[in-house]
Amino acid sequence: MRARRRVSTTSTLTGHLLLVILIVIAIFPVYWMVATSFKAANALFQISLWPVNPTSENYRFVWENLPFGLMLGNTVAMASLQMISQLLTALLAAYAFARWKFWGSRLIFALIALTWLVPFQVTMIPNYVLLSRLGWLNTLYGLVIPHIASAFSVLLLFQNIKAFPTELIDSSRIDGATSWGTLWRVVIPNLRSPLAALGILLFISAWNEYFWPLLVMTKPERSVIQIGLQMFLTEQGDLWGPLMAAATMATLPIFVLYVILQRQVIDSFVKSGLR
Amino acid sequence: MAEQTMAGRALALPQSIGRRALWQRRHLFERLQPYLYLLPVIITLGIWIYWPLVRTVYLSFFQWNLLPTTPMIYVGWENYRRILGLPEMQQAIRNTVVYTLGIMPLSVIIPLIVALFTDNIGKRWRNLYRGLIFIPMLIAPVVVSIIWRWLLNPTVGIVNYALTGGTFAEPINFFRGETIAIWTIIGITGWKLVGFSTLIFSAAITNINRDYIEAASIDGANYRQIVRSIILPLLSPTVLLLVMLSVLLVSQWSFAYINVLTQGGPLGATTNVYYILYTYGFRTFAIGWSSAAAVILFITFGLLAAGLLSLINRYSFYDS
Repeated sequence: MRARRRVSTTSTLTGHLLLVILIVIAIFPVYWMVATSFKAANALFQISLWPVNPTSENYRFVWENLPFGLMLGNTVAMASLQMISQLLTALLAAYAFARWKFWGSRLIFALIALTWLVPFQVTMIPNYVLLSRLGWLNTLYGLVIPHIASAFSVLLLFQNIKAFPTELIDSSRIDGATSWGTLWRVVIPNLRSPLAALGILLFISAWNEYFWPLLVMTKPERSVIQIGLQMFLTEQGDLWGPLMAAATMATLPIFVLYVILQRQVIDSFVKSGLR
Repeated sequence: MAEQTMAGRALALPQSIGRRALWQRRHLFERLQPYLYLLPVIITLGIWIYWPLVRTVYLSFFQWNLLPTTPMIYVGWENYRRILGLPEMQQAIRNTVVYTLGIMPLSVIIPLIVALFTDNIGKRWRNLYRGLIFIPMLIAPVVVSIIWRWLLNPTVGIVNYALTGGTFAEPINFFRGETIAIWTIIGITGWKLVGFSTLIFSAAITNINRDYIEAASIDGANYRQIVRSIILPLLSPTVLLLVMLSVLLVSQWSFAYINVLTQGGPLGATTNVYYILYTYGFRTFAIGWSSAAAVILFITFGLLAAGLLSLINRYSFYDS
């Protein structure tokens, strides 16, 4: 008994050590970004682990030289619209699959699930052509509308609706409620936490989205923050202080969300096994 | 009385027909309902995924440069024949294999080992660790690229500072070195993933029924035996899932790092299939080539995914 206990203590210590190493590797680059953003230009190349005379001049430089507020606004609008529309379409579809048995349901379900396997690069050219025909290049529509539904959201919500007791839906049906009423009065109130988790996940992935905005948005003042950052990098690649300040600001909203909703964020990512 | 009933019947007849039609209409509406709920998703996926898939196959048989004013020229299988013979395409395919296999230690092996060693850590510690280890996953690819460009800079970056002892004499050029560049991109992709994979494995280990482990340890099995004969077999669906995610998604995820940091260089050393698709499509405007490559890629990855999914299904019988 004693021997076993000692073994488990050493293995616990190994576990702590492994994790601490992994965490240092995970955190240090992020810390270094924030630390550099507060260093003055002449202090940049003195290697010190924290800014000795912290300054906000880098942040001021970014605000004065980039349409940063505008880009942040665009990104908030894009990410919120994408999140809300995808939640809504997925909720309707998942509800249909969970409530009714209907002709073709298995086929439709399979066709929706299969889109998960289609890489974005395979459909990008026809989508780009369609978007330019519609005149939606450089618009919010162009960014959001192709992404108002996804297989992933439908599958996730379907699993959650299927998991709760069928009596809930059945009793509401017996009471004579319409399917629409049942959805709003019974299903959604019982689905609050998965909806919140999925919503956070969708918001963060939309915020971080790079490839589609790269194709759709070519004007910096209309663009989202990720593209703005990349333009800033190609134009002023050696201004390390301002660059780190811009990167920090672009990440700040996500960090704030994470600090407030940490548990839900982690759970939703882990459950999704994706992105 | 008789008259009344007659009149009643005469009146009731059309009424009952009306009611029946109404009932039928409502019945039809009832039956259509699920399709109405599905409509937004079906329309969106139809327009933005299935239709473009068909269009991509169509475009792969044409020569075109994306300008609406230039005509599309039918070339048959020529695009397929040409791109498979291109040395740059062959290099991209080789690199894709390197990316996919090279990421496995970071996306599967190390996370599995860390998760196994940290299974018995107390709850409070575990939550703290989880919260921190997860942070890279939240950060946007462009921001990640910017951070690593600064860290790995050959003349002012802190990594080369540490490696050269502060002198920056003969620094490692992480992004331009012909052999190291691809490993730099793989490392950055893995840096973002490693914590996430660890959390998935930890969650899967936590979900294993404790009774099996208890029973084995009462029978005198040590921890290594328990890991080998109970935990690992029960984890095999999770391992396969992460292998599948790595195979399908890593080359896609590395796109942003390639585009921001190396543009596929030096001399195509970091180009993978997804990146070459993008350059054909939007840099050199060889739409036919890009589409043909996309079709080949889609079929290859589709078959790989189908194979891995059937493996996952075969192994998940362990978990009852």
